[in-house]
Amino acid sequence: MNPANYLYLAALLFTVGAAGVLLRRNAIVVFMCVELMLNATNLAFVTFARMHGNYDGQVIAFFTMVVAAAEVVVGLSIIIAIFRSRRTASVDDANLMKW
Amino acid sequence: MSSGLQLAADAADKVPAPSIEYGKLSPMLIVFGIAVAGVLVEAFVPRKARYVTHLVVALGGMAAAFGAVLALIPGVKDSGGEIAAVGAVAVDGPTLFLQGTLLLLGIVSVLLMAERKLEPGGDAFAPQAAAAPGSAQEKEAAAAGLRQTEVYPLAMFALGGMLLFPAANDLLTLFVALEVMSLPLYLLCGLARRRRLLSQEAALKYFLLGAFSSAFFLFGVALLYGYSGSVRLDRIAVATGGAMDNDALLLIGLAMVAVGLLFKVGAVPFHSWTPDVYQGAPTPITGFMASATKVAAFGALLRFFYVALPGMKWDWRPMMTGVAIVTMVVGAVIAITQTDVKRMLAYSSIAHAGFILTGMIAANEAGASSTLFYLVAYGFVTLGAFAVVTLVRDAGGEATHLSRWAGLGRRSPLVAGVFAVFLLAFAGIPLTSGFSGKFAVFQAAADGGAGSLVIVGVLCSAIAAFFYVRVIVLMFFSEPRADGPTVVVPSVMTTAAIALGVTVTVVLGIVPQPVLDLADKAALFVH
Amino acid sequence: MNLYAPILALGGIAAAFGVVSLVAGALTGPKRYNRAKLEAYECGIEPTPQPAGGGRFPVKYYLTAMLFIIFDIEIVFLYPWAVYFDSLGIFGLVEMALFIATVFVAYAYLWRRGGLEWD
Repeated sequence: MNPANYLYLAALLFTVGAAGVLLRRNAIVVFMCVELMLNATNLAFVTFARMHGNYDGQVIAFFTMVVAAAEVVVGLSIIIAIFRSRRTASVDDANLMKW
Repeated sequence: MSSGLQLAADAADKVPAPSIEYGKLSPMLIVFGIAVAGVLVEAFVPRKARYVTHLVVALGGMAAAFGAVLALIPGVKDSGGEIAAVGAVAVDGPTLFLQGTLLLLGIVSVLLMAERKLEPGGDAFAPQAAAAPGSAQEKEAAAAGLRQTEVYPLAMFALGGMLLFPAANDLLTLFVALEVMSLPLYLLCGLARRRRLLSQEAALKYFLLGAFSSAFFLFGVALLYGYSGSVRLDRIAVATGGAMDNDALLLIGLAMVAVGLLFKVGAVPFHSWTPDVYQGAPTPITGFMASATKVAAFGALLRFFYVALPGMKWDWRPMMTGVAIVTMVVGAVIAITQTDVKRMLAYSSIAHAGFILTGMIAANEAGASSTLFYLVAYGFVTLGAFAVVTLVRDAGGEATHLSRWAGLGRRSPLVAGVFAVFLLAFAGIPLTSGFSGKFAVFQAAADGGAGSLVIVGVLCSAIAAFFYVRVIVLMFFSEPRADGPTVVVPSVMTTAAIALGVTVTVVLGIVPQPVLDLADKAALFVH
Repeated sequence: MNLYAPILALGGIAAAFGVVSLVAGALTGPKRYNRAKLEAYECGIEPTPQPAGGGRFPVKYYLTAMLFIIFDIEIVFLYPWAVYFDSLGIFGLVEMALFIATVFVAYAYLWRRGGLEWD
């Protein structure tokens, strides 16, 4: 199968994730969309590694997974702290500061 | 898939064991070491002794790391810089210059975080960040006199990431450093003792937008890897010099990596988080972010464009010129309308990001050295200014509304005078470090053929000077309010931080030459 | 500079499309709003669900999810290391021992701060 197809899929997933970040209201869902973007990037890395015939891309995919997991920890703790104080996870309600 | 595994097995007996130059990486290793030690302190040292232990570990470690930077200088002077850790880290002039600057800024920031004389209940941080604001749990924690000490290991992890950020010589290391620097900062933003909802909101905004931008950064890295077959900056530079078989990957990758880096420096149009986060975060953390993050991120930006993409200069310069112009204009114009001191300083930091970009766009050696100098000057002024903000207080904590600062110069001439010095430096008035820095970057830009940028820069400086001077007029030439804020006398730590800020500002304004020379010598990137 | 011409053209077209559709819609379309129409479209689900009773929700699950990183994710680095173990030799062993020691610092912190207690 043509490896370029995987790249198109990666780009599509990345765009779906980016659109989700911009459109969804629930902070946790927004955050999941960011994770989708990172995973799309992983797919691109692995595909490029295959195309170039070296392992850099595969190793980078591991690093991305670990960074994504660390981001989950930090993100969840912030979102839950907000949820506990405001009883909502809507990003539209985070509006105490403007301009 | 099975052929891939076969390949892996074939390659397994060919890989030579890599070597790590621990000595050359020692500044970063020391800082990461004290960060890990800080976590152990949190785990095993009794609550009462933690504060002192943390301070000793953090300050001692940063001083040791600074010593390690100094010890590395002679070697780099002889060799012109080396690439360590199998191509992952470049130890050269800009790296050491910025690491030294970052460590000094880190020491000053920790002094500000450790200040415990200003707030009646303790320091600037929430006693128990997990307790919901206003809950019984929170009151209990405050009544028990709990103090937040986890900020020190978090700050050390962030500082370690910052040290690695300008030194990263491949895009993977750059990404990991970006995250190591950012993740603790997201948490630190949400830890303010007063106005906790604002603080948590700042953390949420910073986190969501930061994660979004780093995803863009990473996809850009993937595209550049796809283009060149490597993530090492020098190999990407070689690939861009060759035949252009797939430009799209390169150009889109370049733009997306630039988005991630420009987000971190707070350049327009990726600046929208800056004012909210700077306002909501605890003020010592704001100072740390505004100064050290910017230094580290500009270092990375410089290395990325100067080492990986010198051959693409004519392609990225128009883009960066546009970004620099809107950054300067938006920062300077919107700052005029601000009524909160911290937000005003945030917009001023955006405008300054534009000025620093002006130096970077020169794309020559003077561009690099003037940017390095500007970063030193800017870092200390910013940290000092935010330190002064922590002193002006009323019953609700820091009095950040500008109207509350009216007449401060009559009541506490010393504090108002010090703040005026910082504002004059922001404005770039002669005899302050701000003037030397602006002069250097504008000169470099003019020499580098970016004359239009210099004109916009000078105009924006004039606009910016207006609102800085307006604050000075407000402080010295209006009647103090009867219910105005009081200036709290800080402990020796904040005093030392502010004194250092003023000293650097004035010394770099009057005799900038030694540091300019140092930046000149340090401005060569190793390829 | 002509490199940027297509980008600028595309940006112009995109901006024009957005402006034209919004303006045309506002000028010509009927305006009958209700609450559901003003919500963001999220495939039919409630955009920001509220917990039942507006209050309590268990945090323990999230805490466990956060702790997962120590026990699971770091393992990904052990696989490539194991594949190349023979050629990396003592150097690899020492580096991996350092890495695991660092992970155990996080574990020690978690244990001392009561993160492993369910109640």
